[in-house]
Amino acid sequence: MKLHQLPKLIGIIIYMTMANSCSYKTLPTAEVNYLSGKEGTITMRAIGIGVNTEDAINDAEKNALNILLFRGLPESEQNVALIGTKETDDKNKHKDYFNKLYAKKRYKTFVMSSIPTTDLIKNKGGKKSIAVDIKINLVALRKDLEQNNIIRKFGF
Amino acid sequence: MKIKYLILAFMLSQVSLINSAYCQNATTNSGGQVATVQPKIMVIPYAKEGEDLRTILEGDENKRIAIAKIKEGFDSRGFTTVDFVAKLKAAKDNNVFTSENQSDIKSQIIQMSGADVYVQAEVIVEKGQSGNSVKLILTAYEASTGNSLSNKVGESGKFYTENFNKLASKAVESCVEDFLNVMQNKFTDIVNNGKSVIVDISFSADSQTKMSSEIGTDKLPLSDQLEMWMEKNAFKNNYHIQGTTDLRMIFDDVKIPLKDQASDNNYNPNKFALELFKFFKSLGLQPAKDVKGSTIYITIK
Repeated sequence: MKLHQLPKLIGIIIYMTMANSCSYKTLPTAEVNYLSGKEGTITMRAIGIGVNTEDAINDAEKNALNILLFRGLPESEQNVALIGTKETDDKNKHKDYFNKLYAKKRYKTFVMSSIPTTDLIKNKGGKKSIAVDIKINLVALRKDLEQNNIIRKFGF
Repeated sequence: MKIKYLILAFMLSQVSLINSAYCQNATTNSGGQVATVQPKIMVIPYAKEGEDLRTILEGDENKRIAIAKIKEGFDSRGFTTVDFVAKLKAAKDNNVFTSENQSDIKSQIIQMSGADVYVQAEVIVEKGQSGNSVKLILTAYEASTGNSLSNKVGESGKFYTENFNKLASKAVESCVEDFLNVMQNKFTDIVNNGKSVIVDISFSADSQTKMSSEIGTDKLPLSDQLEMWMEKNAFKNNYHIQGTTDLRMIFDDVKIPLKDQASDNNYNPNKFALELFKFFKSLGLQPAKDVKGSTIYITIK
């Protein structure tokens, strides 16, 4: 590369960095609220963000599951996290499991129903959000975590 | 030459004898797999002092329903509980208790059942003009140490119904999962930080040794020697001394691991008692050990 091209290149890098920092970013959300729970199921209302309805519903489902796994849902029977609060550590420790769960959409097998309660609402930055009532099969989820050695079975 | 063969044959027979004595039987060999010994849990009804547990349970179907529902909760987590009614019947058949000492029946059942954890369920029926309800107080204790493992209050909510069975079920449903979650957190803590045992060290009537006796190579008082040993051997250096007198020393909470840290085999109070026994022997003392549940009694002669 010629020396006179260097300032031009630096200019491009600065422009790209600034442009990137100004763009809209989707932050992780904890907008999941308990609705009801009975006989091993739990129903939550979660907010999902996406470019279309399907995307946003998927995001809401992932958020709901993530809250159950790593945060716990106050007011519900699962008010403590199913796995624990060390989310990054646990996800790194069981990469294969979480890759299948999220990237390969295995989490769908624990979703009993997923009913949008609002239309897709346009937000700042072009992203769209939706509120969804999600019912999760908590017993199956816990059993799956136990069988894959993510959590211990009841007892020692 | 013949003698050599004889010695060799003798040695081989000794090796096979030792093997057969200490190695696992071929029929029971698990190939090195170690299953963690699980705590025995028993669900019992709450009884006031002097109340007969049999009468309480047999005369109140709401309590029986509540206990069955709680056990269902354990079953749904893949955990089998010790059946209280079956134990009660066995105790009755064996004449373990009589109605004269009924106030102590609960502790007798817990003792004879070998339960490590007992869950006590108190069912309170409330009748009112604005509706009837059932309240449930659930408490889980470690039988040997009395350490609380989980406490929850469940409520059915008020309904205009006389169906108290259903209300009892609703009261259990409202809290059992949360109750089990808290219990599981305590179990996780035990797995990570060890389980509690009580160590009670005393002297026989004719013993010449006291806690203040200076013994061992470094001539330190026995109580200090003991604390130094506990410091090294309690799991994660976690122990608590209830008190020391010249005639007795009680460690009311000594943590021991669930698994042998070297072999990964199951570890229990009996093995810890053996280590303690060896320590006393190394000091030139004559100890006697007794292990009852999670309490270790050492008596120095």
